[in-house]
Amino acid sequence: MRLLALAAVACTLHAQRIAVSQHMLSNGMKLLIHQDRDVPNVAFYLFFKVGSRNERPGITGLSHFFEHMMFNGAKKFGPKQFDIVMEKNGGSNNAYTSRDITAYTDWFPKAATELMFDMEADRIRDLAIDPKMVESERGVVYSERRTSVDNNNEGLLREQLDAAAFAAHPYGFPVIGWPSDIESWTMDDLKAHFRMGYAPNNCVAVVAGDVTEAEILRLAKKYLEPVPRQSPPPPVRTKEPPQLGERRVTLSKPAQSPYLMVSYHVPESRHADRAPLRILDAILSAGRSSRLYRRLVDRDQLALDIGVDLEDAIDPGQFVINIQVRPGVDPAAAEKALYEELAKAAAGVSAEELGKARNQQVAALYRGMKTIAGKANLLGRAEVYYGDWRKISSFADDLDKVTQADVKRVAAAYFKPANRTVAALIPSKEAE
Amino acid sequence: MTRPALALLLAAAAAAQVKLPPYSKQVLPNGATIAVLPKNDVPLVSFLAVFRGGQEGDPADRAGLGAAMAGLLERGAGTLSGDAFADKLDSMGATLRTAMDEQSAVVRMECLARDAGPALDLFADAILRPRFDPDEVKKALAEQIDAAKSLKDNPSQANAAYFAPFFFGPRHPYGRPANGDELTLARIGREDIVAHHRRMFAARNLILVAAGATPAGFESEIERRFAAMPAGQAHSWVAASLPPRDAARLLLIDKPGATQTYFTIAQPGIHRTHPDRVPLWIVNTVFGERFTSMLNDELRVNSGLTYGARSELQQERLPGAITIRTFTKTETTVKAIDLAVGILKRLRSKGLDAAQLASSKAYIKGGYPTQRLETADQVAAAIAELELFGLNRGEVDDLFSRIDAVTLEEANAAIRRHFRDDNLQFCLTGDAAKIRDQVAKYAGRRKEIKIAEPGLTLPEF
Repeated sequence: MRLLALAAVACTLHAQRIAVSQHMLSNGMKLLIHQDRDVPNVAFYLFFKVGSRNERPGITGLSHFFEHMMFNGAKKFGPKQFDIVMEKNGGSNNAYTSRDITAYTDWFPKAATELMFDMEADRIRDLAIDPKMVESERGVVYSERRTSVDNNNEGLLREQLDAAAFAAHPYGFPVIGWPSDIESWTMDDLKAHFRMGYAPNNCVAVVAGDVTEAEILRLAKKYLEPVPRQSPPPPVRTKEPPQLGERRVTLSKPAQSPYLMVSYHVPESRHADRAPLRILDAILSAGRSSRLYRRLVDRDQLALDIGVDLEDAIDPGQFVINIQVRPGVDPAAAEKALYEELAKAAAGVSAEELGKARNQQVAALYRGMKTIAGKANLLGRAEVYYGDWRKISSFADDLDKVTQADVKRVAAAYFKPANRTVAALIPSKEAE
Repeated sequence: MTRPALALLLAAAAAAQVKLPPYSKQVLPNGATIAVLPKNDVPLVSFLAVFRGGQEGDPADRAGLGAAMAGLLERGAGTLSGDAFADKLDSMGATLRTAMDEQSAVVRMECLARDAGPALDLFADAILRPRFDPDEVKKALAEQIDAAKSLKDNPSQANAAYFAPFFFGPRHPYGRPANGDELTLARIGREDIVAHHRRMFAARNLILVAAGATPAGFESEIERRFAAMPAGQAHSWVAASLPPRDAARLLLIDKPGATQTYFTIAQPGIHRTHPDRVPLWIVNTVFGERFTSMLNDELRVNSGLTYGARSELQQERLPGAITIRTFTKTETTVKAIDLAVGILKRLRSKGLDAAQLASSKAYIKGGYPTQRLETADQVAAAIAELELFGLNRGEVDDLFSRIDAVTLEEANAAIRRHFRDDNLQFCLTGDAAKIRDQVAKYAGRRKEIKIAEPGLTLPEF
C-alpha cells in the first residue's frame, strides 16, 4: 500500500493564505491537511459523496438514516462506544446529510488524534448494523422529522416545494425521507446502501488544526488506507427536464404567519452562472439594504423576513426565495412585490450593488475561515462540489470577474414564470 | 467492549491550560471600559459593546423596551437615515447585530480589517447618536409585535418563550419576555425609547471590546470616539428573588394539531458567580449537556423517544433555573416525562462515579478552546463577561486547575445541594385535548392556556 503525495500548495485569497497538503491514499480516499496551531485542537471532517440524490422511491431518507447509524457501533468500538470514548477523551462530534453528501464532523484535543483515526476507520470498514439499534434509531429519526417538518411550517412548506419543483430528479425527495420509507427500510436496504456510499474512494477527508503533515500521513496510512476500495454509487442518470409552466402548492393550517417560497431552477455549482447567481443572491437578500429586504420588509411592510437559499449542488439545483409574510397580510401581495423586484433585477443592477455584493461574499468567506472547523468544512465542500479545494482561494477572483451584464443576464434567464414553483402556507380560518 | 489505550486517556487528562491572549484595557474618565485584543488569523475586526442592565433595565410594564431600542440603533444614526446607514454598513460587507439578555444589552459589529476605521465610525454612531426617527420607531415596533405573534407558530420556540415568565413569575425581571410581546410592546412609544437609551447607554455602563486584525494604535481611535460620551448613571443592579417554588406547578400551552409535545422541567439553580458553578458544570455535563449524557442516552439512544434531550444550568447575575428540555410524539408524552424525572431521581440518589467525573472534566477541557477562545469574537465575549460579572482573568486562565481540583465528594455534595426531584415546574406545549388528563398527575397547581391567546405572560398560580 502506497501513499501518494500529489501536492503541497499554499493559496492566497486576497492576501488570506491557507496552506494545504493534498494526498491520495492508495484506496482512493482523498486527504487534505491544514495546520493551524491557534488552539491545541483538531477538526477531522469526512465527506462521503452520498445523499438523497442517490436514493429512489422506497429508500428515501436512507442516507440521512445512515448518518445516525454510523454512531451505533462497529467491530472494535461497539454500540455507544464512539461517543463514549470520544467524549471522555475531550472530543465531540456531529454530522450532516444533504442531497449530495453525508459529512461527519469530529472536534477534539490534539492528544486524541490517533484515537479518532482508529474509530473512524473502524466504522467506515466494519459498521455493525444491529437490528435493535435500527429500530430505536428509526424512532429518533421520526422524532427529528416531526420536529423539523411536521411541526415546523418552514420545513413543511419546503418539503412540498421541492416535491413539486422536481418531477424527475431525486432532488425532489426530502433528505429526511418520506414517512412510509422511514417506517419500512429493511436490513438489506441498509447493507446495500452502506457498501455503496461508504467506499473510501467515495470520500474526502480533511484534517485541520494543531497537527503535522507527517503525523497525519502516518495515521492515515495506518488506519484509513487498509479500508478496501469498493464500487462507488452509480451515476445519477436522471436529468430534470426543463419546466414547462409554473407549479403551485397551497397549504392551509392554523398559523399566525403566512409563508411563501418561490423556487427557480438554476444550474449546478460548477456551472459558470453560479458566480453571477451568488452576486444576485446578495443583491436581493444580504443585509437591510438588499432589494428584497428594503421592498418587502422595510418599505411595504409585507414580510417579517426574507432570505435566499442558493445551495451547493452537484446537479442542477434551485434558487429559492423565502418570505415570512406578516400576520394578516395576503401572501399574494408579497408575491406580486417579489415578482416586480425580480423583474427590476432582470433589467439591471448598479455598479455599487455589484461592489457591495462582492464585499459581503468575501467577508462571509472569511467568517467561515475563523475556526479550524470552518476551514475543514470549506476545504472539503470545495473539493466535493468543485473538484478542487483551491476553489476557496479563487472564489473571490471569480466574483471579481462578474459584470453587471452577467447579473442582468442570469436574472433574466432564470426568473421566468415557467421556471418557477410557488409554495404558500395560508393560515386557516378556524381559531386555534 | 473495547477500551482505548491508556496512554491516550492520560494524554487527554493532561490537557494544557489555554489562556486569554494579552490585551490592553483602560477605563476612560467618563467610566467606559475599553479593551483591545489584536488577533491576526483572518482579516476581520469584531467590535463588541456590552451595556450593563439588560432585561433588568426594562420597566415592569414595558417588557421588550430594551430590545426595541437596541433594534433601532441601525435604523438611522448621526447624519445617516436608516437607508443610508444600511447602505454604508452593507457596502463594506460588515454586519451589525443587537441582542438583549438578562443582565446586558449587546451590540456586535464585524467588518473587514481594511474598513476598521469607517466601521468604527458607524458603530459609534449607532451607539451614541441613534436617531429614533418616528417612522422607523413605528415600523420597528410593529415588526417586533408581529415577530412575537409569529413565534407561536413554532412549538419549540414557543415553549422556550413561555417558560421564563412561568418560572420566574411576573414580578421578577427575568420573568418578562426579553423581546416583549404584543401586549407590552403596544405600550411603548418613542419617548420611552429615547429615555431608555439615555439612561441605559451611559458610559458608566459600557464595556467595549475590539478584537481581531485591529490596526496599530486602535485604542486611541476608540477613545477619540467614545471619550465625549456622557458618563450617566451606572445601572443599579436589581435585588429580585425567585418566588418560593415549594409546590409542583404545570403550565400547559395548548397547540391543537401538534404531533409532538415540547416540554421543560425546571427547578431553581445558581447564579454566574456561585462557588458551586464548576462542580455543577461537571455534573450537568454528565446529566444533560452532551450526547452521552444520562438524559440523551435514556430518552434518545435507548428508547428512541426523541431526537434529543438536554439539561441546562442557567448562569446569570441572579439565580436562574436548572432545566430539562426535550420533546416527543404526543402519544409518548407521559412516558418521556416519567423517564426524565426518573433520571433526575437517579442523579440525586446515586450521584456521579469516578469514571463519569473524569470523563466530564476531559470533555469540558477538550472543547473549551474551540468554544470560547478560538476566534476574535469569542475572546471579545470572554473579556466582556469578566468585566460584566466583576471577575478577573484567572476565571479563564486557571479554569482547568479549578476543574481538576473538583473531587467526587464535592461533585456529589453539589448534586445534593442543588438538584431536587420534588416541587418541579413543568412547562408543556402540545395538543392539550390529547394529554391534559395524563399530565395532571405531575402537579396540583395547573394552568392551561391557548397558544393563540395574546401575550406570553400569565398571573402567578
